[in-house]
Amino acid sequence: MPLLSLQNLTIALPQGADRPLAVEDVSLQIGRNEIVCIVGESGSGKSLTAHAVMGLLPRGVMATGGSILFEDADLLKESPQAMRRRRGSDIAMIFQDPMAALNPVMTVGHQVAEQIRAHRAVSEHQALKQAEELLGQMGLKDPRSLLKAYPHQLSGGQRQRVMIAMALSLSPKLLIADEPTTALDVTTQAQILKLIKRLQAERAMSVLFITHDFGVVADMADSVAVMRHGRIVESGTTRQVLGSPAHDYTRALLAAVPKGENYLPPPAQAKALLQVSGLTKRFRRGGLFSRASAITAVDQVSLTLSRGETLGVVGESGSGKSTLARCVIRLLDPDAGEVLLDGADIAHMRERSLRPLRRRIQMVFQDPFSSLNPRQTIGDIVTAGPRILGEDAGKARARAAETLQLVGLKPECMDRFPHEFSGGQRQRIGLARALMLKPDVLIADEPVSALDVTVQAQVLKLLDDVRRQMNLAMLFITHDMRVAAEVCHRVMVMRHGRIVEEGPTRDIFTAPASDYTKALLAAIPGRQSL
Amino acid sequence: MSFARRFFASPPAVFGFAVFLVVVAIALAAPFLFARGPLSIVGMPLLPPGSPGLLAGSDVIGRDMAVGLAYGARISLLVGIASTCCAVGIGLLLGATAGYYGGWLDDLLMRVTEFFQIIPTFVLLMVLVAFLQPSLGSAVIGIALITWPQVARVVRGQFLSLRSREFVEAARVIGMGDVRIIVTQILPNALPPIVVVSSMMVGNAILTESALSFLGLGDPNLMSWGSMIGGSRVAMWVAWWTTVLPGLCIVITVLALNFIGDGLNDALNPRRRG
Repeated sequence: MPLLSLQNLTIALPQGADRPLAVEDVSLQIGRNEIVCIVGESGSGKSLTAHAVMGLLPRGVMATGGSILFEDADLLKESPQAMRRRRGSDIAMIFQDPMAALNPVMTVGHQVAEQIRAHRAVSEHQALKQAEELLGQMGLKDPRSLLKAYPHQLSGGQRQRVMIAMALSLSPKLLIADEPTTALDVTTQAQILKLIKRLQAERAMSVLFITHDFGVVADMADSVAVMRHGRIVESGTTRQVLGSPAHDYTRALLAAVPKGENYLPPPAQAKALLQVSGLTKRFRRGGLFSRASAITAVDQVSLTLSRGETLGVVGESGSGKSTLARCVIRLLDPDAGEVLLDGADIAHMRERSLRPLRRRIQMVFQDPFSSLNPRQTIGDIVTAGPRILGEDAGKARARAAETLQLVGLKPECMDRFPHEFSGGQRQRIGLARALMLKPDVLIADEPVSALDVTVQAQVLKLLDDVRRQMNLAMLFITHDMRVAAEVCHRVMVMRHGRIVEEGPTRDIFTAPASDYTKALLAAIPGRQSL
Repeated sequence: MSFARRFFASPPAVFGFAVFLVVVAIALAAPFLFARGPLSIVGMPLLPPGSPGLLAGSDVIGRDMAVGLAYGARISLLVGIASTCCAVGIGLLLGATAGYYGGWLDDLLMRVTEFFQIIPTFVLLMVLVAFLQPSLGSAVIGIALITWPQVARVVRGQFLSLRSREFVEAARVIGMGDVRIIVTQILPNALPPIVVVSSMMVGNAILTESALSFLGLGDPNLMSWGSMIGGSRVAMWVAWWTTVLPGLCIVITVLALNFIGDGLNDALNPRRRG
């Protein structure tokens, strides 16, 4: 008999939502001592399914049909009090953002102890002792002093370990993990996944793991359910589903996962268009009453880039890759070094003399929701650049229509506002805005990291097509090694503001020289099986 | 749902807007409704409301209270709106500059703002108005000078958070100049809280002008609600209407403006959009 069994679960959205049912007729079983993954893109209903099991659906969202059987008890019929007793002790949950899930004004020890004491009659002292033991089991060093730490003093990985400690403090039978590693760096993600797997085996518990990443599925799951638009389109053992997917959608999702099989060869030696040397950027903090301190975000970085070539800059958060991009495009003023564009140093140029040159280096931004002014129409956004350079309105609009078509949008969208478009469409609009200025260099700062995997594949293909057609030099910033492998001719690995290693993509991926690159590659989820 | 529909969905906002419209209408129509000005004496002093020809009674020297209230609305609204416009102008200019450019300019402008915030503002206002000679203009200038810091703070906060948004960076990347970025990119997005603060400020300015006039620092040639109360305080115990009626006018108008402010806040708040 399975531990948890969803039978024809249906969850209704409030009126006025984009569809009536968030989850429709979902049946799923989780056995004892088993890891089941629900995988799907945003809006697939995977997260709401998990929240329904916890009895934590948002206000206005209700389970309207089916049942959730946990050891024969239908959770949908249980009283709020009974559900509260179950939460934590029978079923526990960990979330994507541990910073938001932890109370910022309580010490870690107190939070874990509070969780224990809410369910068990133990003294504060005993609870803290148990908490210390738990933190130790999570692989955290020096758990005793950690008890007295506040969440903001911990790293993202440490916080997620604390969250897992809290979730496991009452030895639940089922752990629900809702995208627990999505906000983490790839090396940290690998450690947390390993930890969850180890704890699951040690405690013989069941895990319901929600993710958008097939790599994670391959590493974690015993069986998997693929969700789309609120329905399960395919389920089975991980080997079945990943090895011989039966449904078109599963096949499409799997095909969209960047594999990095066909590395782009480095292009023939050409004259460098962009030459960066010794670029350094420091950020200063403090002021009148506090001691000033400086951190070096980018430290003596040099690179060259020629037409038609894509250089990938990869690194984890805090590696300085985005700062580097912002210095090259002069959104930030570098402290030292030069940025030569066709031989002219733009690193220290005054804004006034720089402005006419700005056209030549354009950028596609990370966040599709904040990179377009919500108060302007697409037409205004896309034509703003040429209009500043004095192009007349009619001509700019005609070109905008062409450019929008080039990036795969209809010219009619010019009169609409950004909120009417999806994330992928917005990234296309952002790209059109950059292309309108006929740039020589395109900087793409994590252009696909906010997108679903199928959309991601489309946008990556578009970027590559555009680079080819317009013979652009592209600087591609990403944290995702798989994405870098897909689109870059050469790759540069950064850490703590410095270049760790640089070379043709094939060399970096097949014969990395530095230990750090090796660690990054080893941490890619699903590397062995996908 | 459109902005107007969201605004008028809230009963207090509708009430506030209606009252405000009535006050504006009375203020505009005052010279047509009453042939004689508010300062002319029409009969015996301290006649109660409802006396023949005197809807709201007469004041301590026999002026028609109804005429005074109608003309008072002109002065109160004029001072409220004019001083708020000036304060918003100063606050926008300094707040936008401080928030957009940051660094030492921000430090400097914020110290100036704080200077205006830490001194007792009403005392400053009285000294200023007395120094400039009490008049409509000096009241407007004085009130604007003591209220602009709150606008500047709100504007600066908005600009600080908006300037690092990617669409602003994108505007810089395509070569847009600073002034154009401030006006076309940031300002439209910063507007909602500024509108809300301004609508509340009009009410506060009316209160402040009343207090000034009550203390005898209003324009001696003009009748305002505050000066009516100030001039009648000796008769407060024998003729309630001389102080209560203008007081009620102030309360209702300020309340209406605050309701409008709240309504705007709810209607402009994107989280409330459904």
